[in-house]
Amino acid sequence: MKRDLKIIGKPTRKLDAEARVSGEAVYGHDIVLPNMLHGAILRTKHPTAEILSIDTSKAKALPGVVCVLTADDVDVNNISYKGDHPILKKGEVNCIRDEIAAVAATSREIAAKALALIEVEYKVREGIFDPFAALKKEAPQLNRFASKEQGKNIADSFHYEHGDLQEQKEKSTCVVSQRYTLPRVTHCCMGTSAVTADYSRSTKRLTLYSLSQVPFLFQRDLAKALRMEPSNIRIIQPVIGGGFGSKLDMHPFEPICALLSMQTCRPVQIVFSREEEFIASPTRQPMVIDLTTGADADGKFTFREVKITKDNGAYTSWGATTPFVMMQTFSSLYQIPACRFDSYAVYTNNVFAGSFRGYGNPQATFALERNIDLMAMELGMDKMQIRLLNANFAGEETGQKLHFRSCGHKDALQIVSDKANYKNRQKSNGTGRFRRGIGLASMLHVGGGAKIYPSDGCGTIAKFDDYGYLTIISGASEIGQGSETVLAMIAAEELGVSIEKVRIINSDTDIKPWDVGVHASRTSFIAGNSLLGALSILKIQLSAKAVALLGTDLDDLIFEDDQIRSGRTGKAVKIGKVVRDIHFKQPHELCTASYYYEPDSEYQDGAFKGNVSSAYAFAAQAIEVEVDTYTGNVRVVDVHVAQDVGKILNPLGLAGQIEGGVVMGLGYALTEELIASEGHVRNPNFHNYKLPTASDIPEIHFHPIETSDQEGPYGAKGVSEAPLIPTAAAVANAVSDALGVEIFSLPVTPEKILQALKEKSV
Amino acid sequence: MNFEMITPRTTGELLQALANNQGSRVRIGAGYTDLILELKGLKCEETPLVINLADLTDPKFTHIEKTDAGIRLGALVTAGKVIIDASIQTELPVLCKAASELGSRQLRHRATLGGNLCTASPAGDIAAALVALEARCEILSADGTLRTLALTDFLVGVRKTALRQDEVLQSVFIPTRKSINKHLLSDFLKVGTRRSMEIAVVSLAYQFELDAEEIIRHAGIAIGSVAPTVKFVSAAGEFLVGKKFSSIGAVAADKFAAMVCAEATPISDIRASAWYRREVLYNISRGIFDK
Repeated sequence: MKRDLKIIGKPTRKLDAEARVSGEAVYGHDIVLPNMLHGAILRTKHPTAEILSIDTSKAKALPGVVCVLTADDVDVNNISYKGDHPILKKGEVNCIRDEIAAVAATSREIAAKALALIEVEYKVREGIFDPFAALKKEAPQLNRFASKEQGKNIADSFHYEHGDLQEQKEKSTCVVSQRYTLPRVTHCCMGTSAVTADYSRSTKRLTLYSLSQVPFLFQRDLAKALRMEPSNIRIIQPVIGGGFGSKLDMHPFEPICALLSMQTCRPVQIVFSREEEFIASPTRQPMVIDLTTGADADGKFTFREVKITKDNGAYTSWGATTPFVMMQTFSSLYQIPACRFDSYAVYTNNVFAGSFRGYGNPQATFALERNIDLMAMELGMDKMQIRLLNANFAGEETGQKLHFRSCGHKDALQIVSDKANYKNRQKSNGTGRFRRGIGLASMLHVGGGAKIYPSDGCGTIAKFDDYGYLTIISGASEIGQGSETVLAMIAAEELGVSIEKVRIINSDTDIKPWDVGVHASRTSFIAGNSLLGALSILKIQLSAKAVALLGTDLDDLIFEDDQIRSGRTGKAVKIGKVVRDIHFKQPHELCTASYYYEPDSEYQDGAFKGNVSSAYAFAAQAIEVEVDTYTGNVRVVDVHVAQDVGKILNPLGLAGQIEGGVVMGLGYALTEELIASEGHVRNPNFHNYKLPTASDIPEIHFHPIETSDQEGPYGAKGVSEAPLIPTAAAVANAVSDALGVEIFSLPVTPEKILQALKEKSV
Repeated sequence: MNFEMITPRTTGELLQALANNQGSRVRIGAGYTDLILELKGLKCEETPLVINLADLTDPKFTHIEKTDAGIRLGALVTAGKVIIDASIQTELPVLCKAASELGSRQLRHRATLGGNLCTASPAGDIAAALVALEARCEILSADGTLRTLALTDFLVGVRKTALRQDEVLQSVFIPTRKSINKHLLSDFLKVGTRRSMEIAVVSLAYQFELDAEEIIRHAGIAIGSVAPTVKFVSAAGEFLVGKKFSSIGAVAADKFAAMVCAEATPISDIRASAWYRREVLYNISRGIFDK
């Protein structure tokens, strides 16, 4: 269906832009409720210790303190994906984040003072901070709630395979094995974690002003933790100052805040300081990837064999399931006849990881795309040619049964190569202080949701008021990604209603219909299709009345400028008038519709095979760097991004996602690392956690590819995780191109570069 | 974060405040870019007391003054003001560059020269430039007397200065070196992982005076983040004096770099290893003479 689009594809300012920049937006930190108390959490001093005693008497005696809780005061269930995480720790602590006690007081200052008055007697234990040490026979069991099915310190494991590995190994003339080490990085949301809990003594209902990006799953998890009916918990989402996956899990501070409110029957708010945010909010999974890949004499890929050892930390979050995404990259990025994948999330006494934009894929892609460069060098092949030779194609069904109905992989590679002038780049001659190089990398990610729950759907309720204003009640949450704006654009496109007359309600579980939540780059795709369903119902309703009012037939109707017009006569009627006529005259109906969209993707089988997403996004990046061989500093000169986005919905929002993603990827590539030693976080501040600044960011050239996916709204695919996924690989490949030295771990620090240069020269 | 504050408006009131308030709880505040962080992290019994210099209008503290004898910079001059001052741009370019590398535009607008010195960080950007320029500190005491001290003697250790409890840094003075037809060659090389909001992992400040024949007549060199304090590297500077800049070749450059590094006693911390600091200091010192 080819049609002229009036709104979709045109740069449209975010609906909340003005509220955000003027300070009008109400973030979690801005919420003030009558009689509200301020909560604070006492965390352990030592990463691993026995707790001999906790004395809260002095804290309780402090004027202004209303409630002090320890594990002894509450009767709750463990939280987390594996149920291995006590909300308040009893008897022992296992990582530096561990919550020992919580206070609610009349001011933040008093709450902080009260924490200092709680006396805890510790008996320090030795911890294990290296996953390989935790896997040893003599290691003690680190999490006493662990299932131990697969070994005492293995929290979770995944096995996947397809093809005949042995046969493909025999075909291989080039086999490259390499170990890759990926660091712990964190989201650095500009808004720190915050929650406000409001429990009503009379209704026994709990309202939580929560920054969760998955409110319905959060409601269910919180109910389980607190042993409540989910329906007695109402989640209201204030404006969120950055999510990026950090708000996919429920974290202990949230049920703790609820418990404080339930105890005091007053609203309680907990807001993290920046230091607390660095120490106690989730990270990307640190991991070691042992990868072996093969190719035949022509450079056709033959097999991949990968073993991943992840530092799970002390408890298990959704982040432990990132292999689910990583295996897609190993099994299906480029054509690959055989693949064997094993991963283990190993308990340690480190801070635990969570989920983070890309969900394991930046790590997997780093290893894979680095290995491709190594194979090309060994085969004496051009690094672009080997990629093009093996690229994915439209119509391909991969070994994992992913079905690429549309595919811009080859185009993406070709475009970045051309735009970056890769072929004719100046080859570094290995002398001179500053040396330049270009690196390539590509990626595959879900682009049409990901069916990892029984449903990957989203509900929408749409209603017109009597004045022609449209309210969209969407299950999908806005966490800054711009989905509200896209939904309003879709409504404007379909019904001709102006964007200013569209309101989006999407932040209250008592009102909005169900949705899985913000993850897997799914919102525009899934919520967009859901909205299209609801709008088509409204359109039928409006059209029937308009036909009568205009004295014409259905095919003649044009929805435009808040009016419905007859194409033949030019006669028009305002949408508000049509709605009023439906409402106040026959058939006496309200102009409302509800729709639930379930994508046509499949729930994978026990062997992780099946078409998990309705569409797949592909992207390639070519990144040029200049390395200062005196200091090891890498200056990123140019970034070219080509991404298969299916169809551009809002070019402004899209550019924001691409640029933001690349910046996040550059930080991962070059500067960011949450440094831990002996279980302590050594750099819990922006001084020493090196988030890139504006002055470190080069020109980012974006070349969108429109493959018009058959299932996506207007052909669109998910876009938002993709731009950071290949970035680190491309940067490391560029450093290799510039210097002829290979870096196998992130971040690619100046120190690693100087060391590698030194080793090369001796 | 909780603290008390006294805000003197005149030098007289300041001296009074210094006389009346001494002890470990007293801090002097100017731009607050470091002090706020320090106060946040402070875990002490007593409530800290800040003597706030923000409202002080005495030009000795706030102005840049140029005379035949030299340039005097008040302790309350901000990094931002240093950058746009014409006489600093022409006569003390190393200071101008160092000030422009400090933090970010927002920080440079607040951060003062006096604060950068009194914080006594081994990584101080302005401190490194002023050490290279052999600046002298002018220190006012509660009794009104003024003493001067070489900046290298002022900086005594990590976050330690020679300032006594009843003293405040009023200004720094950089004497003019008398020479004819001189032209200056200078730079402030700051090495870190980011290009702004960075604390130097290694820094090198230098300002050379060359005569018409390009002979180096004077060389002021300072190194940062490689010792407990910013250090003046005198031997390496003297090595250069009398040499023609453009004819310093690889051998002399290596010797110079080795002499600079001989003054460095770097440590390993989360920002970098001692090995890296030494390696980079050598490379950038040598790099001054790259053709």
